[in-house]
Parts: sequence; C-alpha cells; structure tokens
Amino acid sequence: MVGPIYIIAIALGTAFFLGFFKKANRTFSFGLMLLAMAFMTFISAQWLYAFLTQNQETVQIFTAGFKPPFSISLQMGFHESIFLTIINVLGLFSAIYLFGHLRDKGVNMMMVFVVLFMGLNVVVMTRDLFNLFVFLEISTIAIIGLILLEKKEDAISSGFKYLIASGIISGLLLIGIIAVYYYSESLFINDIIASKLMYVKGGTIATFLILIALVLELKPFPANGWALDVYESAHPGVGAIVSSASATAGIFILFKLLPAFSDSAYYIIAVIGTLTFVGSNLLGIKQNKATRLLGYSSIGQIGLVMAVIGLTPYLGDKTMFIAFGLLLTHILAKAGLFWLAGIVKSKNIRDWAVIRRNPHLLVLMGTFVFALIGFPPFPSFFAKWELIMQLANSSGMVWLAFILLGSFIEGIYMFRWFGYAVKGENKDLPEFKIHWNKILPAILFAIGLYAFGYYSSTLTGIAGKFNYLPLLFIVFLYAIDFLPVYIKNTISIAGVGYYLYTIYPGLEEYRLVFGLIFLAGGMLTLLAGYAYKGKRQGFYPLTIMMFAGLLGLIEAKTTLEFFFAWELMTAGSYFLIIRGKKSMPHALSYILFSVGGAYLILAGFALAHIDQNTFSLDILSNVQYYAPVIFTLLAVGFMTKTASIGLHIWLPGAHAEAESDVSPMVSAILLKAGVFGLIILMLHMGFQSFGNVDIYYILAWIGAITAVMGNMMAAFQEDAKRLLAYSSIGFLGYTVFGLALMSHLGWLAAISLSVIHFMFKTLLFLAIGGVVWRVKTKEMYKMGGLIKKMPFTFISVLMGIIVISGVPPLTGFGGKWILYNAVLDKGWFFPAAAVFFAGIIAFLYCFRLIHTIFLGQLKDEHREVKEAPFWMLVPQYIILGVIMLFSALPNSLLKPIGEILLPYFPDGALEWQGQLAISAFGYWNGKLIMFIVVGIFVTVFAWLWYMNRNAQKVKQFNIGYSAERPSLPETTHFAYNFFAPYKKVLGFLVTPVISNFWDDVSEGIHAVADKIRRIYDGNAQNYALHIIMFVVVFYLIAFGGFYGI
Amino acid sequence: MVKKGFILLILAAMAVIIVGAFAGFTGNTDLGYVANHYASNGASEVGSANLVTAVVVTYRGLDTLGEVTILFLSAAIVGFFLKVENTDNKDRKLKYVSEILNTASQVLVPIIILFGVYVFINGHLSPGGGFQGGAILASGFVLMFIAQPKKEISHKMVTILESISGVSFVLLGVAGIIFASGFLDNTILSLGKFGTLFSAGAIPIIYIFVGLKVGSELTSIALSLKENQNEA
Amino acid sequence: MIEKLNLENISLAVGIIVILIGLWGLLTQKNLIKIVIGFALFDTGIHIVMVSIGYIKGRTAPILDSAVDVNNASQIVVDPIPQALVLTAIVIGLGITALMLSYVLKMYQKRKSLEINNYKDLKW
Repeated sequence: MVGPIYIIAIALGTAFFLGFFKKANRTFSFGLMLLAMAFMTFISAQWLYAFLTQNQETVQIFTAGFKPPFSISLQMGFHESIFLTIINVLGLFSAIYLFGHLRDKGVNMMMVFVVLFMGLNVVVMTRDLFNLFVFLEISTIAIIGLILLEKKEDAISSGFKYLIASGIISGLLLIGIIAVYYYSESLFINDIIASKLMYVKGGTIATFLILIALVLELKPFPANGWALDVYESAHPGVGAIVSSASATAGIFILFKLLPAFSDSAYYIIAVIGTLTFVGSNLLGIKQNKATRLLGYSSIGQIGLVMAVIGLTPYLGDKTMFIAFGLLLTHILAKAGLFWLAGIVKSKNIRDWAVIRRNPHLLVLMGTFVFALIGFPPFPSFFAKWELIMQLANSSGMVWLAFILLGSFIEGIYMFRWFGYAVKGENKDLPEFKIHWNKILPAILFAIGLYAFGYYSSTLTGIAGKFNYLPLLFIVFLYAIDFLPVYIKNTISIAGVGYYLYTIYPGLEEYRLVFGLIFLAGGMLTLLAGYAYKGKRQGFYPLTIMMFAGLLGLIEAKTTLEFFFAWELMTAGSYFLIIRGKKSMPHALSYILFSVGGAYLILAGFALAHIDQNTFSLDILSNVQYYAPVIFTLLAVGFMTKTASIGLHIWLPGAHAEAESDVSPMVSAILLKAGVFGLIILMLHMGFQSFGNVDIYYILAWIGAITAVMGNMMAAFQEDAKRLLAYSSIGFLGYTVFGLALMSHLGWLAAISLSVIHFMFKTLLFLAIGGVVWRVKTKEMYKMGGLIKKMPFTFISVLMGIIVISGVPPLTGFGGKWILYNAVLDKGWFFPAAAVFFAGIIAFLYCFRLIHTIFLGQLKDEHREVKEAPFWMLVPQYIILGVIMLFSALPNSLLKPIGEILLPYFPDGALEWQGQLAISAFGYWNGKLIMFIVVGIFVTVFAWLWYMNRNAQKVKQFNIGYSAERPSLPETTHFAYNFFAPYKKVLGFLVTPVISNFWDDVSEGIHAVADKIRRIYDGNAQNYALHIIMFVVVFYLIAFGGFYGI
Repeated sequence: MVKKGFILLILAAMAVIIVGAFAGFTGNTDLGYVANHYASNGASEVGSANLVTAVVVTYRGLDTLGEVTILFLSAAIVGFFLKVENTDNKDRKLKYVSEILNTASQVLVPIIILFGVYVFINGHLSPGGGFQGGAILASGFVLMFIAQPKKEISHKMVTILESISGVSFVLLGVAGIIFASGFLDNTILSLGKFGTLFSAGAIPIIYIFVGLKVGSELTSIALSLKENQNEA
Repeated sequence: MIEKLNLENISLAVGIIVILIGLWGLLTQKNLIKIVIGFALFDTGIHIVMVSIGYIKGRTAPILDSAVDVNNASQIVVDPIPQALVLTAIVIGLGITALMLSYVLKMYQKRKSLEINNYKDLKW
C-alpha cells in the first residue's frame, strides 16, 4: 500500500513543480494538479478500503526516523482514513468543478488549491500539536488565497476579515499550545493526553484556550460574521470547500483532541454546538442571498455535528454513527448546493426559479435540500433518528428540544428557497449555461447521498428491512419520464395494483381498511390522469412517492419504519401540492406544519423508547415514562395531517390550488394518514390523562370545534375547491371526535366516516375539478346553470352532497346515525351538540355547491362548455356505484368494520339482522330507507318536472341602476356572497384568528432574527471583538469566574 | 468612548485568561524529557552542532516543510493578487534615490547576499539557518530594489529558483523514506565529523534549499509589491 | 514577591502585555495599516512568551560548540524546542502579515481609503 506520507510528498512536490509551468499550457498544469488530487484520493481510499475489508490495524508514521515524542508522527487509523477520503474526494471534485476558473486564473491558484488539501490531510493525520497548528495555518492561508478566485471588491474585503479573524484565533491557539508544552514537556498528542492537564494548575485554562480556538475555527454563532461574508462573496466552488472540507477537518481535530480536555469540555462543545445550530438557522430565515443563506446553513449544520460530539456522554457508542451521518449529508448536500449556486448564478433566492429551465437540476436541488433537512432515505434521516432516540433515552430532553427546534427553523428557509425554485416566476431571468465539469460533481454527490442513505439504513440494526421496492419504482418512473402520460399512467396504476395484490393477503383489521383507502383509492384517482395530455413531467414519480409513503405506514412494524414512511409521504405530497398554479405559499406552510408535526412524532417515539429494547410499534402500549406527554406529542403530530383546528391553516390553500386530480389525492387519501396514526396511537396507548384532565375529552372538543369551524368556513367560501377543502377539515373533525369517544360505536363511526369521506371527497373533488377544468375558474358566482352542459358531473355532485350532508338514503346518513348513537352512549353532550350543529351548517355549503354551480342560468361565456373529460368521470362513477352499494346494503361496510373493532371494543357493538342495524338506542334499516327515499324523490321530481312546463325564461345580467351598469355584474348576482346574512350573525366566528396567530408567530420570529443579525455589521474589527468576547463569555461559563488561578 | 471602555473590559478579562493559562509557570530548572533527549542525543543522532537546527530540520522537519509551504503560499497568493497585467512601467514616477544610497548599495548588496549564503550554509554549526539566511538574502534584494528602482529582475527566474529548491526539498524528504528510516531523515548522507561544515547528513543541503527558497519567496513578495506600487 | 521578578517571569509578563497592546490596537484603531501593526504586535507578543517558556536560568544557547561539552549538554543548554517553534511561528506570522498588507494595498487601490468603516458592504 502507498504510505500516507506520499500524500504530502505528492501534493507539495506538485505544488512546487507547477512553478516551472507559469507560462506553459494551463490545461496541462491543471491536468498535473488533478493528477495529484486523484493520487491523494487514491491513497486515502485505499487505506479506507483496507480498514473496511482487511482488518487493517492503525498505523503510525514516524518522520525523520525517530519515534514520537522526539519527532512528528502521523497516524492512519480507521477514522483518519474516512475523513481523509471524504476530504480528498471533495477536493478532487472541487478541482473538476473549478476547472475553468483555475485554468483562467493561472498556475498560482492551482498551487494554492493543492496545498490547501495537503494541509487538511496533515491536519487530520498529525499527532503533534504544533504541527497541527502549522498545517492548520497552511489551510487557512490557502483558503484566503482561494477567496481571490473572485477578484471582486467584496471578496477582497471579506478575505481581509477572514485574515484578521483567523489571525486572532490562531494566536489564541498558539498561546494555548505553548502553555501546554510547558506543562506536559511534549508536543506529542498522546503525551499531552496522558499528562492530564486538566488537573494541573494553569493547564486547565491552557487546554481551554486550545479548545475554544478549535471551536472558533468551526465558526460558531455568533462569532462568525467573517465566515458569512466569505461564504457570500467567495466563488461558490470555494464556498463548497470551506463549508465541507475545512469544516470536516475542523471537526476531526476536535474529535482527536477531545480526550485532552476536561469533562466539562463536552458540555461546552455541546452548548456552543447547539447554540450555533439554533442561532445560525434562526438568522438564516431573514436571508435572501443564496450563497449567504448556504453559509448560515453550513454553520448551523456544523454546529449540529459539534453538538453531537459534545453530547457524547449522552450518545455513547452511537456518537460516531450519528456524527458521520450528519456530517456526510452536510458535506454532500452542501457542496452540491454550493455547486448549483455556481451554475445558476442567481444571487437572490427568488431568482432561483431559473433553475427550472433544466428540470434535472431541480431534482438535484430537491435531493440536496431534503437531505439537509433530514428526510428519508438520506443518511441524515437515520442519524437524526438515532440522535433523538439516544437523547431521550439518556434524559437529554432539553438538548432534544433545541435540536428539533433548530432543524425546524432550518426547514423554514430551505423550503422557502426550494419553493421559489419550483414555483417562482422565471420569464425575465437570464439564461445560464451548464458545463459538464460543473454538473458532474453535483450529480455524483446526489447519487452518493442515496447510496450512503441506503448504507446507513443497513446499519440501523433494526430487524425489519426497509422496503426499497417502491423507491425503486419511483426511480424507474423518473427514468421513463420522457414518455407520454397515458403510458406512465398505465404503468403507475399497474404498479400500485400489483403491489396491492401482493400485500392484500397480509393486511388485517384496520390496516386492511386503510390499505384499501390508500392503494385502491390511489388507483382510482390515478385513472383521472388519463385526461391529461403531453408528458406531465415529474408527476408520476412524486405521486408514487406519496403512495409509497402511505403504504409504508400500513406495512410499518417498527417506529423507525413508520417514521420513514411518514416522512416519505410528506415529501411526496409536498411535491404534488406545490405543482399547483399558485401553490407556493401553501406548499410552504404545508411542509412546515408537516415537518413540525413530524418532529413532534419523532420526539414522542423517542420518549416512548426510553428503557425499551425493541423497536416494534408495540412499545407504545408499554410506555414506561411520560405517557401523557408522549400521547400528546404524537396526537398533535398526527393532527397536523388531519388538519385539526389550530393546525389546519395549510390545508385550504394547499388543496384548493392543487391540480384537478391531485386535490382528491391529498384531500381524500392523504388526510387519512393522520387518522391512521391516531388509530395506532389510541389502540396502543389507551386512556391517558394529565392529572384529572382526560385527554380524550379535550380531543373530543378539538374534533367538535374543528367540525363546526371547518363547515362554517366552507359555507362562506366563493371558491368551489376551497369550499371542499374546508369541508374536509370539518369532516375530519367528526372523525377525530368519533375516535375520541373510545367506544365501539365511536370508532365504527370514525372509521366508516373515513371510508365515506374518502369516497365522496374523491367524487366531489374530481367533479368540481372537471368543472374548473372546463370553465377555467374556481369562483362559484361566475358559474351557474351548468346542469345542462355537464349533466354527468351534476349527478356526481348531487350524490356527493347527499352523502356529505348525512341525509338518507345514502351512506353518509349511516355514519352520522352511528355517531349520534355513540354520543348518547358516552354522554358527552356539549361537544356532541357542537358536532350536531356542524352537521346543520354542512347543509349550507352543500346547497351552494349544487345550486350556484349547476342551477340557475348559464353564463354567456359558458355557452360552449362541454362535459368534463371522460377519464375524470370514470372514477366518479365507479365510486358512485360503491356508494350505492354501501347505501343499499349498509352491513357490507359497517359489519366488517364492526368485526375488526370487536377485539378492541367488545362492548356496545351493533346488532345486525340482515340490513337492519340495532343499537342500544334504536334501529336503522338502510335498505328500507333507500326504497322510501327513492320513492319520495321520484314522486316529487315527477311533480316538479310536470310543473316546470310553465316556467318562463329570462335573460340575466340585464341590469341597470339609473342607466348605469355595474362594472362587475356578476357581483350583483344573487349567488355572490350568498350567505351574507349568516355571515353577519356568525361571521365573527370565522375571523381568521388562527391564521393571524401563525402569521404573528412567523413575523415575530423574523423580527427577532432581523434584530439579532444586526450584530454582523460588516466591520472586521467588530468581528474580531466578537471572537474575543466569545472566548471571555465561554471562559466565564466554563470556570464560573476565576477558578484555576 | 463607551465602546473603548467596553473593549478595555474585555481585554482585561482576556488578560486574566492568558495569565491564567500561565498560572502554573514557575520557570525551569531542568530540561523537559523531550528537550533532554535532544540535548543528550542530538549530536549523535543528527550530528548537528546547532541543536535548534537539529530540531528544526530533522526532528521537527515536517513543521519546517510546512513553514516553507506557508511562505510559498504567501508568495503565490501575493504574486497572483498583485499581478500587474501591464508590466512595462516606463512612465512610472520614481522617487529620487540619493547618491549615497545608490553607491552604498552597490557595495553592500553583494556582501549581504554573501552573508546570507554563509548563514544558511553554516546553519547546523552556528546561530542561523535557512530562514535567517534566506531573509538576509532577500533583504539584499530589497535594498537593491530601493536603490536601483529601474533595475528589473526577472520574476520568472525567481519563481523557477523557488520551484527548484522546493521540489528538491521534497525529494530529499522522500529520499529519507527510501534510503533511511523516514520522511526527511537526514542520515541519507553520512553524518560526517561532528562540528565541521560537511557534517550533519543532509541538513546543510536541506538548509541550502530552504535558504534559496525563503530568499526567493521573500524576494518574490517584495517584487510583487514593487511592481504593484504605482497601480491605480 | 521579589524572587518572582526573575528574567523568565519578566519576559513572560512583557510578552503578555505586548499581546494585549496588540489586541488593543487591533480592536480600536480605524486605520487598516495600524490594524495590521496591531496584529503584528499581537504576534510578536506571543513569540516573546514562547521564548520565555524555554529559558533556564544560567544556561547557554543550545549550540554544541567549544563552550558546551557534548556529553554534558543537557545540563548546560536551554530548551531548544521553543526556539525552533518560535522560528516557525515567526515565519508563519510573516506570511500572514505579508498577506494582510497586500490585501490592504489592494483595498486601498480599489477604494482609496484606509478607513475600516468604509469596508462594510457585506453584512447581515
């Protein structure tokens, strides 16, 4: 094997040798440099390979032929080889990325480049403290040189700031080193560790100086203004190096020297790391310049890794796995994003919409952003999971809370940025060119993220293997994205169908119910996709991603699998939602609520894991500590998906702005994931209370209020799809209410309502989607009289609203009937009254749907409107058939569900005699009622039809006030603001208190961030002062005054 | 003013910290065990009469390589940074150079350069070495730049000298791995008779290259600054 | 108290004072050149501290010439290591100072100002 010392020899030899070629062909010089980088990468990779496969032992390399401590020695061990390989691979690809720049700027910069990586290599390997200092200086100076690749005024002044800051930091380091030398009489790190300086007078502070200087090298918040300026002004290729390679080496030094510090060092590092993670991300949310934003994020991520190292006492032997997972993700994703920034060249994040001109770049960006936030299947997901689990297990609750908070805040700006890229206006933005050498590294790094994600999943030590089959299907769909819609649609339906077919025999109980909703529902809604023409780029991989997540929930046996699937579903649905026309802000609030909810779920799972060795979902039924807290965390987490009141504000916009066939997917199907979660939670954890307060009673109230408010807001909407969206909120309120009853009938109602809601909401969203497709507006008052143009759609809507309003004879009535029975059974009359009231309000909006859109007179501009596309009608009529079946034969739906519930709730079940259901309070015969109602309907309809002969037709909008015509005659239409009288009375109830609340929260956070970031006033001197203050403050924290003197 | 008071306060705290780091300093009565090893065995192991040189070039040779690299980096960066696109400086306004300076420099520059060479060749015997000698060398050239501003020195030659000495230094280091027991091992050449010019193995040769390299690097930095001084 | 006033303590104290003076200049001067001078002082102070650490009372320089017996050297010379380190540190400081000055030069050429408050374009 090639010795590590040759890394130094090759790099320096090349750097010095390049001096001969100042005037020679620069591509040739570049080739030489690249060769050196490749060779360095080869050496480190070969060692890594040996450590991984051949039980290679750690090797010490002595220079000058003397053993340490008399000479400087290097060490090549497993950890060294990993870090070196990471750094060198990054160096190699950075070189490729910077090819054009390095060639244009000449040989000097190539020398600096190769020396930089040589320096970082030695920093990792050396076992001599002063040698560490020297090579740290080399890499710092080299970075300062590389900043000049952009010879702009900004870059120059930021380079000066960097010089001043690093000068002070290395001065402090040097003072520490020389003092340490005095106390330990050696510079060999092993000797220093052995001499236990923390117990020596003065040695404590000397090691503290070294520690704080090393931490400062990692640019901790808030002493990092200089670094941010560099990130902003340097070439993005250099930003990638600073953010990834330098920080990686810095982390390793900290790791290497950790044993030399006192135990309180762990605490200090953890505090600084967490503070940096939260603080830097907080300031990031006000940022709109892409590279500076990446700077904030880089600093935050490195802070997190620092925190993990500091939290070693909590994390034990998992520390390395967690730190590596986070660091590796950070390196790959951050380098990738910086590189994209160099390709796109848009400073402002709003201008990143231009990236969309090449959809593959968007895929890369999405990969990097989601990896950074910690979504599956990336390494950070598994690392974060393990981190939170371990923290909870060793009672690090405060750390846990802060880390989740920081992660969430990072999500805010990352997703906002991504949203601009996906949906921003990009017409007037300048073109950008893609050179192969700039895009290749990013592609490889993205692939690396997936590969390492897979590798991490195999290390989690969980028996249940992750199901990667659906993910492969996503990749396949991405690969065939160039094909027309009808082919991809067929493949997708076939794929979902096949999967359902294979797992169907294994599904039991409530998993079967929800499995059918998710997958059969998925196939049904996909049918509508045939109505689309062209390619519909990106739609199918994303749709399947959501369904893969949903079915993962069904299949999950362990908490980790569950969470994996939950996040996958969230990501997929986010992409589907953001495809809508004006959906950018709504998609952002959706993903933020989802991520927030997911972190609550994560925290809940983590607390539940305390003192339990298994990862099975059954741990929830065996919780040791904090049971009510766990229940609340999980319930709130799941309710972000059911959009219960307070957590609902993302829903209306997200659902209303989505595409016609996406709305049913995200409304009728996706929301059920939350219900499914709640069911699992309640079945496992049973009754919970805080002292005397029954949590389920609170849940019942939440459900009831959600039902009332959802329906009320639905009634006052002008936008048809928004109306349906609010109606979903209301209906999910019933479901939550039903579940909260914790009785057989309550659950029967909740689950059957879930099924019913799936059916009618798919029906209505598709029907209304079809109308919107044709009339090109969602405003109901602009429609009218469409019954003649779209009769089939009319029938769908009619049936749909009969189901919603819960009147006989259709199946909605059955659900309501059971719900009222359940309430009587339980005796919670106040919330029940609210639920009942909500049912009445539902009539209002149901009426509007049918009346405003289909009845009345046809608008002039709609004379040519055709019936909805055939393929939109197909799923509607399939559903109609099922609804008719369930309505006529209610026991075909309710009886199996009742049987599922029997083992959990044996008491109070319905008794069935044929189609006659008997409860403790009465009976109901669906079939009989069907006949009666149909009879009445036919009679009345016949009479009306007969009377209608005498009706006289008039033209509309033939309006004039004193010879003036209103400019918008439609607003004078009686359908406009139809429920104004009700609004006058009840309107105060629907003032957007909750939206305002969240807006205030958001504004507050932004204002705080804006206040704090003023400390970065751009003055190099103040940055220097921050560094000194940082040292003083943490000295006071560490020593509480003048200890040690 | 308030700010200055605040800075004073922070610096006072900083003083406490630095003083704290040396709180255990009681002076030395004896050498530490590493230093003791150098003092006792330096002569036999390395063969350099100047123990500092033994430490700098051999025991801690990697530091020295790093040190040279830092100067190399500085020179490369400054050279790149201050590169003058338009090198014909014919219309530069030059300051008047006094006759005394001019005449003295003609006498002094060769002597200074000679002295510099002496210092780095004798680095293993007497106080001095590659860095000191290189710095003296460069100061001779700086004096020349001041005294004879019109005189052009080929920057290219300086860089090539720098490269040759750099590559040679690294090659000598690698030779240590191949012919002796480690990178930068000076025993690739015989240690010779202790205390003579041709002793201490490869140290004098390494110091020659270090001296040339430092000299050319510092000259190169000065040259860059000189070429740049009239840039707008 | 008096016995503490020996050479190594005095030079250590001087070194620390120079460090602080350098920092004071670095933090309060508004002129870029003076800031660089502040840094150079800071650096020099550290070098003084380094040399003081290796001093042993009554001993001579670590050069084994006629004045020092090779066999008894460890009883006669001062610690060579801090001297070697300070050599390296000086060179590093030189490299950084040279870089700083060339940055200042370039900044001045671009904007004709040496006032540090005029270089605050990047912030927040």
